[in-house]
Amino acid sequence: MNIFSLATKNLLRRRVRTGLTVAGVAIAIAVLFSLLSFNAGYERQLSGELGSLGIHMLAVPKGCPYEAASLIIHGGVIPKYLSYSDLEQVAKIDGIEIASPMLLHQFFKDDKPHIVYGINIEEQKELKPWWKIEGRYFNEDEPGVMIVGRGLAEKENLKVGQVLEFGPDEVPTTIVGILERTGNQDDEFHFLPLAATQRIFGKEGQLTTVAIKARDVSRIAEIAKKLEEIADIQVVTMTQVMGTIMNLVGSAQALLFSVIIIALFISAVGIMNTLIMSVNERTREFGMMKAVGASGGDVSRLIIIETLIITLIGCGVGLIVALLGSKLVESFVRGVIPYSPTGELISIDPSLVFICIGFALAIGLLCSIYPAVKCARLTPMEAMRSDLE
Amino acid sequence: MNNVIMSAKGISKSYQRGSEQVHALREVDFSIKAGEFVSIVGPSGSGKSTLLHLLGLLETPSSGKIQIDGREMRGLKEPDLVKTRRGSIGFVFQQFLLLPTLTVRENIELPLLFSKRTARPGRIAEVMDLLGLSARSNHLPHQLSGGEMQRVSIGRSLINEPRIIMADEPTGNLDSATSEKIFTLFKKLNAGGLSLIIVTHNTELAGMATRVVKLRDGGIVAG
Repeated sequence: MNIFSLATKNLLRRRVRTGLTVAGVAIAIAVLFSLLSFNAGYERQLSGELGSLGIHMLAVPKGCPYEAASLIIHGGVIPKYLSYSDLEQVAKIDGIEIASPMLLHQFFKDDKPHIVYGINIEEQKELKPWWKIEGRYFNEDEPGVMIVGRGLAEKENLKVGQVLEFGPDEVPTTIVGILERTGNQDDEFHFLPLAATQRIFGKEGQLTTVAIKARDVSRIAEIAKKLEEIADIQVVTMTQVMGTIMNLVGSAQALLFSVIIIALFISAVGIMNTLIMSVNERTREFGMMKAVGASGGDVSRLIIIETLIITLIGCGVGLIVALLGSKLVESFVRGVIPYSPTGELISIDPSLVFICIGFALAIGLLCSIYPAVKCARLTPMEAMRSDLE
Repeated sequence: MNNVIMSAKGISKSYQRGSEQVHALREVDFSIKAGEFVSIVGPSGSGKSTLLHLLGLLETPSSGKIQIDGREMRGLKEPDLVKTRRGSIGFVFQQFLLLPTLTVRENIELPLLFSKRTARPGRIAEVMDLLGLSARSNHLPHQLSGGEMQRVSIGRSLINEPRIIMADEPTGNLDSATSEKIFTLFKKLNAGGLSLIIVTHNTELAGMATRVVKLRDGGIVAG
């Protein structure tokens, strides 16, 4: 027999109470782990999504709110437009490698939103060299053709060669290519030649944004400043986009973190309550242990070990539940926050596992210190006579 | 038989109970020699259990001195008191205070867990055999009779091979036949050279000891 087996046997004496305490810790850890994983995954996916645009900044119409401009990368449509003369002025700025005009349009089919990107295909291929296609790309001025993202194709069961009636005039449009999966927002879009998009949706001469790639990243700030000098244009750099989106989701995250903190607090109070009750009930036993040779340290150690066993088992169960339920949490969180990047939002990082274990140990120690110290200080007879309060 | 192993000089114990000061023990002198078997008797509230607890270092006297093997206990820090309790004293309680999830053997072994030492080879079997518990080794306390539980409690007090056993009303929860068996066991332990101090209400059983000390109102009146 050793102190661990003694602690384990003590815990098994009140199986229901021990089980409920373990469940309390497990719930707290599952929530903590899920939310931390989500936070890490969200930032990583968002950063990846912005990186996958292959651009350094967006030129958008002046007066367009940052939030809306930021959502352009995810297919957000804004009610203001740039002109081709704006594009010309942008293209003239020194240090810009690519200035690719785009028109975004959103339409609904069966109550589901569909995003159409009017693009210059050659420029997009340069911005996104990782694009691979089943079928072929369209040519710049080719009418009645489009390519679609893999996710969209799978959802709508689209095939290369299929003809769709597109736009308000139901223009027959052939799918000439389907992008191989990119893992980002491009998987969900329709891509058409820019001119064709403008024609189909009655936006001739209008552009939603100009995607800009700088020749040298160290000159982004300088280029942005020059772009701001153009009367109709405001610039959103990818850093700003990231910041804006993080701000957008910040309030939702703050709410979620508040929930976690409350859950953890309730859990900690519950554990402490259970522990103090359990110690109270056994005060006479601890007195007996002291009478037969246990020191205050031995009794404290026993109480702390019992608590740590509970919190570590709870932590293990919580982590397993969080791992098994990550998809559920992801779909819930997607419904709550205003902007979700594509890809897996829950990032299972070993360092988060260690954070959760550390947190469980901290809760265990915190909850056990009071009863352990209190019990250790009692003389054997005090322990046998009285209850802790 | 002449060497005193434990002595108390002028020990008193007072408690505060609400606004009332209770004097449980008043300036008591007591000593026990090696190999002596002392019974402490007296009516309820006479201070006999308090005397035992003070002698057993389970609580500290309000005043007075206690010496064990000539060493003054007053002023000792908790680790030294723990060491003395572990090495010199075995304690038996009226309510047995066995851990319900531990087997007979594990309950007897419990003090070894705290003294961080292993019993000499054959010691556990020897104790269980002495107490007639060998066949009950793997039983849990709830599977035992009151007498058996008290024997386990006595086994627990013996395992560290103390010089003195202190028992506080060890037969208080037992019927008369079982009580007599327990006292016979104490006599047997005493015959083996162990010193014993037993607090009891039962004057008949107390007579089995080599010396009977009578207490009344916190003071020794005889013995």
